[in-house]
Amino acid sequence: MKVEIVEWHAFSTWHWDIPGTGYEDELCGICRVSFDGTCPNCKYPGDGCPIVLGLGCSHNFHLHCIMKWLEQDTSKGLCPMCRQIFLFKEGTFGAEDGKKLQRLVDGHKATRERGPNESDQEFEAFDGQQVE
Amino acid sequence: MSTPAKRRLMRDFKRMQQDAPSGVSASPLPDNVMSWNAVIIGPADTPFEDGTFRLILQFDEQYPNKPPTVKFISEMFHPNVYASGELCLDILQNRWSPTYDVSSILTSIQSLLNDPNILSPANVEAANLYKDHRSQYVKRVRETVENSWNEDDLDDDLDDDDIDED
Repeated sequence: MKVEIVEWHAFSTWHWDIPGTGYEDELCGICRVSFDGTCPNCKYPGDGCPIVLGLGCSHNFHLHCIMKWLEQDTSKGLCPMCRQIFLFKEGTFGAEDGKKLQRLVDGHKATRERGPNESDQEFEAFDGQQVE
Repeated sequence: MSTPAKRRLMRDFKRMQQDAPSGVSASPLPDNVMSWNAVIIGPADTPFEDGTFRLILQFDEQYPNKPPTVKFISEMFHPNVYASGELCLDILQNRWSPTYDVSSILTSIQSLLNDPNILSPANVEAANLYKDHRSQYVKRVRETVENSWNEDDLDDDLDDDDIDED
């Protein structure tokens, strides 16, 4: 089907209000798409593809991008920008997503508390296999 | 078909075209955006100066959450490069971050050339010469630099290599 747009009137625009940034050129550091655009898995920007604000560090990401990273064991729960333990501010996304993200953060916390040696060895072995 | 990894790689490509760091270049194969050819020029005032070192980067669908496999196809003499051309570089292994892209990977490898990590040698001979017999080390590196130029004359052979890699 072909649609020809004859006329249109723009009446509003929106953007994420991200504190302390000149939002216009701000890209998600993981997918490199602007925050006002969507992560590579989403079709529509806005509430469907929210932003996560870092707590402690000031690094922000699309919710779906940081979730995918934190799902990796190799992320060790760290911020991809500054390697501090990633914590987030509530309120820019729904409760359900918040719970999922919190579960990932808690999972890495538990791994860290189990002892650094054990998990480091796992990572080394895993890395070794990858190199082969 | 477009996937998140491919979309991200196309952004990496755009960045390489618009804003390439000096001394590195890279582009995906025409028929496969998951495989890239790259060239790193040896930095000035180092034994690697003016070498044209070729690499292959192989990405998978987990990129950028997993690093690509990176391999020199030019002959290298460097403490952190295996005989196979594979690299021992922390950011390509346990210190990978999804904020890295093709441009930053190549810049890191470029700076690794003159700043090897002697504590984890992939080429023990290169590491030992680097530590104890620097002039011999430099001589061996200069040989690989000259060989890297000869490769450039053999473009047909290189194309064959690329097909083999696929």
